Amino acid sequence: MDQVIALVKKDLQVDWRNRYPVAGLILYIIVLVIIGYLSFANFIEPEVWNALFWTILLFTSVNAIAKSFIQEDDRSLYYFFTAKPIAIILAKLVYHCVYQLILLAIALMAFSLFLGGPTGNLPLFYLNLIVGSLGLSSAFTLISALASKTNNQSIMMAILGFPVIIPVLILAISNSKMVILGGGWADISTNFIALVSVNMIIIALTFILFPFTWKS
Amino acid sequence: MQYLLRTNWWKWACAILLIYVVIAGLLMPTPRLPILNETIRVLHFHVPMWFGMLFLFMGSVIHAIKYLSSGKQINDTMSQSLATVGVFFGILGMVTGMFWATFTWGEPWSSDPKQNASAIGLLIYFAYFILRGSIQDEQQRSKISAVYNIFAFAAIIPLLFILPRLTDSLHPGNGGNPGFNSYDLDSRLRTVFYPAVIGWTLLGFWIASIRIKLQNINHQLDD
Repeated sequence: MDQVIALVKKDLQVDWRNRYPVAGLILYIIVLVIIGYLSFANFIEPEVWNALFWTILLFTSVNAIAKSFIQEDDRSLYYFFTAKPIAIILAKLVYHCVYQLILLAIALMAFSLFLGGPTGNLPLFYLNLIVGSLGLSSAFTLISALASKTNNQSIMMAILGFPVIIPVLILAISNSKMVILGGGWADISTNFIALVSVNMIIIALTFILFPFTWKS
Repeated sequence: MQYLLRTNWWKWACAILLIYVVIAGLLMPTPRLPILNETIRVLHFHVPMWFGMLFLFMGSVIHAIKYLSSGKQINDTMSQSLATVGVFFGILGMVTGMFWATFTWGEPWSSDPKQNASAIGLLIYFAYFILRGSIQDEQQRSKISAVYNIFAFAAIIPLLFILPRLTDSLHPGNGGNPGFNSYDLDSRLRTVFYPAVIGWTLLGFWIASIRIKLQNINHQLDD
């Protein structure tokens, strides 16, 4: 547990010391939102709002998490002798979840400012949003560990990650659309439970499989 | 797979079953149904491709798990060959399905949830081959691709079995369309369909076993 806390703290410090990756991501979100705003000429249907929002979220999270294991390249030998793989992956998962939620909040704010906020049952919308983006961040964490071992990391991240993430994405987007168009818990409960269980599978597999990618 | 590599009887079974399937599948009388008409015979050629693909992918995952626990190179070779043949079956399933859909649904691609899901499933496995290609070190490649293989299979299961059930599909047996059970009252289709599934699956494993042997020989020549 101490190892996990120390590793999370280390990630925070790394991101705090060279702030430009985080600033770059925030700028990335804002640029994407403004492009969306300009190309839809300031009027936007709820369904399009939903699709655009999730697309931007997807690209933000893939860019945010892609760097995580790639930046560890020169440190991995040190970790290998000092930390357990389980501790490393737990720390990464926790850190990425928090990171993803912060980016999510920024994206939602930028979206509300330019393209209008979400409508319908808001607590349900946020719940689905949080669960969906946790799925995104945990799946991309393992994919980033795999992609960091290959030759062209940024492209591998996209081609390995996007198809695998689609079950999560389809479930989350359809739930979110249902809520925005005025649906309640009864409309999305089956999809939501499926989403939660897919997330569980992803997180469990991440824990089981990560030590194998590490031991090389 | 080790057992299949050593024995031969299943190859005979496969050949006999497939001869029966091709003859009976094309010549036996079928139920007369509107829209479907004679195209119902595609059941013996299209559906078994997906079954075969799933069994091959399953074999591939089992060998990926075995590789991770034992570290034997042969398991990685098997895992890769089974995935290759599985993708080949998937492409055949997609092509036969699109051909059939042109005559029944009016167009080859109608954004049916099952069509979309299987296209994504194939993308996942294409990414698996790209991943293999982009790692130089042999041991690293086997390990990383085994991990991705297991992860990919876990993504395929909800994709093919849960998501299409949540929305209406144009496929027979989904979304209010009559299925297999409701019109095959005298089990005439079944007498060909079940042998077809077994026969095509065995053919997949046969092709995979040839690939495995070939790769083993190449490996030994390299050493």
